[in-house]
Amino acid sequence: MPLSFKNIAPLFNTSKNKISKWLSYFGLGIGVLLLLSSMQMFININNLLKENNPRKNGFDFFSITKVITNENMGKDNTFKDDELTEIKSQPTIENAVPLISNQYRVKASAGTIIPFSTDLFLESIDDAFIDTVPPSFIWEPGQQTIPIIFSSDFLELYNVFAPSQDLPQLSSKTISSVNIIVEIYGTMGVQNYKGNIVALSDRINSILVPKTFMEWSNLNFGGVAKVNPSRIYIKTKDANNPQLITFLESKNYHLNKDKTKFGRIKKILQNIVSALGVFGILVIVLALMLFSFYLQLMIARSKENLQLLLTLGYSPNWLSKTVAKTWIPVYIFVVIGAVIITALLHYAFVKISFVERNDLSYFLHWSVLAVGLLLLALSVFTNYRLVKKELYRIV
Amino acid sequence: MQILLEQIVPTFFEVEQIAGSEVWGKKISFTKGEHVHVVAPSGSGKTSLIHFIYGLRRDYEGIISYQNENIKNFSLEIFSTHRQKNLSIIFQDLRLFADQTVRENIELKRQLSPYHPPQKIDEMANRLGISDKLNRLAKTCSYGEQQRIAIIRSLMQPFDFLLLDEPFSNLDENNRIKAFELIEEECKQRNASMIFADLKELDFFKGQRILKV
Repeated sequence: MPLSFKNIAPLFNTSKNKISKWLSYFGLGIGVLLLLSSMQMFININNLLKENNPRKNGFDFFSITKVITNENMGKDNTFKDDELTEIKSQPTIENAVPLISNQYRVKASAGTIIPFSTDLFLESIDDAFIDTVPPSFIWEPGQQTIPIIFSSDFLELYNVFAPSQDLPQLSSKTISSVNIIVEIYGTMGVQNYKGNIVALSDRINSILVPKTFMEWSNLNFGGVAKVNPSRIYIKTKDANNPQLITFLESKNYHLNKDKTKFGRIKKILQNIVSALGVFGILVIVLALMLFSFYLQLMIARSKENLQLLLTLGYSPNWLSKTVAKTWIPVYIFVVIGAVIITALLHYAFVKISFVERNDLSYFLHWSVLAVGLLLLALSVFTNYRLVKKELYRIV
Repeated sequence: MQILLEQIVPTFFEVEQIAGSEVWGKKISFTKGEHVHVVAPSGSGKTSLIHFIYGLRRDYEGIISYQNENIKNFSLEIFSTHRQKNLSIIFQDLRLFADQTVRENIELKRQLSPYHPPQKIDEMANRLGISDKLNRLAKTCSYGEQQRIAIIRSLMQPFDFLLLDEPFSNLDENNRIKAFELIEEECKQRNASMIFADLKELDFFKGQRILKV
């Protein structure tokens, strides 16, 4: 019969301090539950808010304009070169580029299928600032088709008023197939171009055309070689940076933060959930510490018996392993219990969170299960190390 | 296995204490199969010597080696292997688990490195006259009975050397003879050696190697 803990169990004094033992089990359960469920929530938030996230590579993008007041109304409220240079030189600003607008009249109609005609404005910006740039977004002089990137907000607005005007509603897919006739009025007379919507932008509220077209048309239709922008787009690590806000306010620039709010909400939610997770880790550490006190006390109370076992030839490795192993069932029970409760909470969250079902799985993410297993292994391992250390101490 | 003692002197000894000793400061080897009787009056360091050899204490100068390996370099893990397979001991202070029964005490050693089947416990207890004590707690046994428990326990494992530290101090002549016969038989079975320490020379070791501490 191989040796097991049963042989040496009577030599351990386990009668005292039962409360701290049960408290530590309870604490471990709560800690694991907190950590696992906050991990799962973090993943849920990430999945739910993934598609609409306007942040690109961890940066915020937003536009600024000069505040229009009664005093400066009617004056030139565009940004001058030195102002742009000053904005760019701010340490909190990664990059800033102008939004150049058309210096001539533009009218758009959609032909006979959609009897709709409107005056229009066009803008252009560095491609690097656009969230969706298809390869077809280029224009060269002589080209009759102008590729257009359309704000998805504008499409939404259009779809709101279209039914009342007897116009068809358009999906983001079908809008690219609508033939738009762009009429340009300028010094060269009226010219017709074909407009083709090649992409929708979540980030920039505008109707964007390639920079090459804007420069060419402003020169040829508007007769202007250099246009001062009235809007500047800013790329920054954090649109909420107080230093940045202070600078913009001191310059009396108006900050259009609508588009960054969503990213911020996600960030705040994830921060809250992360904080919960960190708290969970803290509780786990405390629970393991409490349990280690219990173990230390148990070993101290059984010191003479353990010393004698070692003297008789019991191996310290075997003793540590055997003692640590006795808690594996308890830890398995605690961790699996926490995993099951996490799974139930997650299931309830998916059920009541008003999201489309296919966005979230009813099952826990594999990484949550992996962390559960890892915690199990960690608990057993720390016990093993602790018992071994204590055994070597009493020899 | 061979045990070698080279110039062993307890660090707590004065120079004059080792004068005339056949053990302290000398080179001595214990070879498997050869019994050695260590005779030492009180205070001459008899128990210390046994503990040094068993690896329980390290407060000595010189080198003790098993198979030419200095035991001061051994980890507790290596000692545990030797104590399971090569070395057994009967302590002067017996060192039993007071709150366990006699049988449990012996089983704790037997199961660690079984040499005999469990029935052997009953057989030996019978020979030494403590078979009716097997299910009693060790602490309720008399000192003489406890000595016999410690003897049986030490014989449950395989060994090359059996260290004995005044194992018969509380036994009457009749029980001494029975115990010695049992130990001798068991050593013979394993071709093992006794390193038997006592206060005075015992008749059992007439004609054998005797070291005076």
